[in-house]
Amino acid sequence: MSRFEAAEWKLLTDLIQERFGLTFDGVRCEILESRLEPRLRELHLRSLRDYYQFLRFHPERDAELGRLAPLITNNETYFFREAHHFDILVRRIVPDLRAALRTRALRILSAACSSGEEPYSIVIALQNAGLELAGVRWEIDACDLNPERVAQARQGLYDAGSLRACDGEARRRYFRETGGRFELRERHRTGVRFFEANLLAPNGSFGWGSYDAIFCRNMLIYFGDEAFDGVIGLFARSLAPGGYLLLGHSESLLDRATELLPVSFGTGVVYRKRPSG
Amino acid sequence: MSTTSELPSVALRIAALDALIEGEEREAAILAALEDAQPAVRERAIRLAARHLEPAVLGELVADDANAVRRNSAIAALERQGPYALPQLQVMLRLDDLDVVMFALQVLARIGDPAPTAAILPLLRHPDLNVAQSAIEALGQLRSREAVPALLELLQGELWLQLAAIDALGAIGDARAVGPLVDLVPDSVVAEPALEALQRLAAPEALEPLLGRLLIVRERSLLDPLLLAVGVVIDLHPDPAPAAARLRQELALGYGESLAPYLDEVLNGTAASGDLLRAAAALAVVAGLEALLPLVLHRIADPYGAVWAEALFRQHPEALRASLDRFLDDPDARVRRGALLAAVFGPDDLPALLELLGDPEPPVRAAACRALGSTGAEAVAPLLAERLRSGEPVEQAAAVQALALLPPAALGELEPCMAPGAAEEVTIRALEVLAVRPQPPFEARILELAGSRSTPLRLAALRAVAQIGGSRAEVILVRALADRSRPVQLEALQLLVRRGGERTAVTLSALLSAGDSLRYHVIRALGHLRARGAVGKLRTLYPECGPHERLEIVSALIRIAPPDLAGFLRARLEEPETELRRIAAGGLAELADPAQLPLLLELSEDPDWNVRNEAARGLGLLGLPACRPPLLTLVRDVEPVVARTARQALDALPAVALPA
Repeated sequence: MSRFEAAEWKLLTDLIQERFGLTFDGVRCEILESRLEPRLRELHLRSLRDYYQFLRFHPERDAELGRLAPLITNNETYFFREAHHFDILVRRIVPDLRAALRTRALRILSAACSSGEEPYSIVIALQNAGLELAGVRWEIDACDLNPERVAQARQGLYDAGSLRACDGEARRRYFRETGGRFELRERHRTGVRFFEANLLAPNGSFGWGSYDAIFCRNMLIYFGDEAFDGVIGLFARSLAPGGYLLLGHSESLLDRATELLPVSFGTGVVYRKRPSG
Repeated sequence: MSTTSELPSVALRIAALDALIEGEEREAAILAALEDAQPAVRERAIRLAARHLEPAVLGELVADDANAVRRNSAIAALERQGPYALPQLQVMLRLDDLDVVMFALQVLARIGDPAPTAAILPLLRHPDLNVAQSAIEALGQLRSREAVPALLELLQGELWLQLAAIDALGAIGDARAVGPLVDLVPDSVVAEPALEALQRLAAPEALEPLLGRLLIVRERSLLDPLLLAVGVVIDLHPDPAPAAARLRQELALGYGESLAPYLDEVLNGTAASGDLLRAAAALAVVAGLEALLPLVLHRIADPYGAVWAEALFRQHPEALRASLDRFLDDPDARVRRGALLAAVFGPDDLPALLELLGDPEPPVRAAACRALGSTGAEAVAPLLAERLRSGEPVEQAAAVQALALLPPAALGELEPCMAPGAAEEVTIRALEVLAVRPQPPFEARILELAGSRSTPLRLAALRAVAQIGGSRAEVILVRALADRSRPVQLEALQLLVRRGGERTAVTLSALLSAGDSLRYHVIRALGHLRARGAVGKLRTLYPECGPHERLEIVSALIRIAPPDLAGFLRARLEEPETELRRIAAGGLAELADPAQLPLLLELSEDPDWNVRNEAARGLGLLGLPACRPPLLTLVRDVEPVVARTARQALDALPAVALPA
């Protein structure tokens, strides 16, 4: 039970939706409340309405919006999360592109990449599949709304929690332990480009565009219907004909009208843009 | 059903719906959108239908079983119309179409207004069992006490009606149901739902018979709901001890031999749900089942159990008394610590407690500190001060709490902690004690420490300064408003507000002339102080400052409530900034002044949802009969927050009988 009134919740969550495209309701509001309470105390503010007004009108509002971003985005991620997607990438998606990849790089987008665990996992999966030795090149665009997370991703330095799905062998092979933390080895950073991006920015587009695969996992659950449809539309525009969209296990396009069609690979459902012709 | 491939985007379809002005075209568009393939468009159409379509139109859609999507949308819209739809829903109860009757019952249940109860009661005996079941469920959700006698009769009826009646009786919470429900336990197919209903009922009358059932039931599947029901009843019982003592006697006589092992298993187990664990603990403590008490004391060490387990013993202090010495001497540190935290101690217990100050486990020693403090004995002060200086961090924190419980005369022992040269950390701890228990002999030193170079030390000293009377302390707090550290500034401001008083208000009013970043906080502080003397300055400042300060000035003036506030707020409603209009509307609502009714009626039709929400709140606060019609419109507002506020306001108005 929230200590705040429904109207002040609406003011704040509408602002968050407007600025970041993220929706909060029910349990997610409780999570948000627990994250905001310490911040309100620091600012000596008593209510969400006070905080909303601070974010809208205070001279320090831009800095505060910057502080708010990491509080409202889900930073919970780790290497090789939902590993079957990497399997689908190297066993199902890449083999179909073999001919094209003789003359160009494989193009992947990791949307809402947080601190980089996902794009780096993709690199490792591609390397482990022997694609680097086979001469396949890749360009992985990795973006996140939160500048701090993007900076962390570039640094490539992780706590043990990010390696929870790595056994001892994987830890040794891919990371160098330094002061109780784990630094990703340089060779596993090949071809990744990080940048800040708000997926809901109007007329949004990404770096090279025309991706063969887009990974966007466990982020759309935060989006309202309109934002969800907007982002899926953006992905559809950004995918090459026949390109794939990979979503998190609790996200689905099955009850939505989109031009992306579900494809089952046994280990999971992914979505595909119609091939040209 | 419309197809989606050729349609404009969801956002465009929603915008088009919103843009339609009144008339047939709008109604047709809403009706079409109620069956849109996209949930987001349907949701918007449902909101608009609740606002703009009459219940009779929606009722016709509910009767159309050829279009299930539109029917479901119409049901949702009727539900959102709330009390406005009640007359139409009552009409629907009398129709021949049984599906419509059932839908109407479900909507009435979800609306939750008890007014149609009389119209629902006859349906309990409807020849169609589905209708009868829906009526039972509706009366349960409406918590209709008038339905209890009829529901009790249904306990002997057809199984599905019996199940629905049990659930409804649990929801209604009338003690007349206790006996008939207990009679269903354990030898009936509905024993488990009956126990769940008894758990919801939580009637004290149920304790004795439920404890009796605990002695005879052996099946785990029934024991769990039985124990859960017992736990809830104990929690809400004014004096569960006599009934629980009888259970203990029965156990001592050898009855219910499987109960103790079952409780032991629950208290030991990790598989048990939190509620089951708490229920077992409550029973063990209230009945004084000594062999099980160590398992409950363990829970005090558990971060998730500490609060409730400690509270349980404090509520029933007699439970620990008989075996306290044994628990304090237990080889398990969790039991020793738990007993120290949960028991009530007096001067006679000092020797045992002092011994535990030498316990090998720091958490036990910390708990001993707290227990010593709770005795209030002056003699323990030197020992606690020593722990504050040189104990483990957990002991130091406990010593602060304990020292704050001792009589003021005992706090002279803090002198070494406050002396120049004492470790900063120790002085900060001592200041934490003095911020709770001010001590005149330390005042000079506290005032001196408020000028320390260390920020944490200054902060701690300021908190203690706030407890000191007189102008010197006030001057120090005011000076801290200009401290080089922002957290110190804000802390000083809060301390001044908490200290209150006309002088603080005068000091803060003077700071309004300074245009620095602290002024925003000063304006807020003046509001919280309800500083009447600052009204003039705040109003003069208003046109000169930026929007963030303007908002705070309006909020502050609403708190202070000067005599001419309504006029000031009315002027703010004319401002272009939406947020200022919203705050002003909120202030006008809070005035609860009948003279503002015409304005609130106007605001109830404002294009901004937040202004309408404030109008709904204001109409509810006024509570006049004239507020009902606009609230019946607002309850159908397209913005759910407004509709909810209006519904709350309507519920608070005197009830109005529905036409038969």
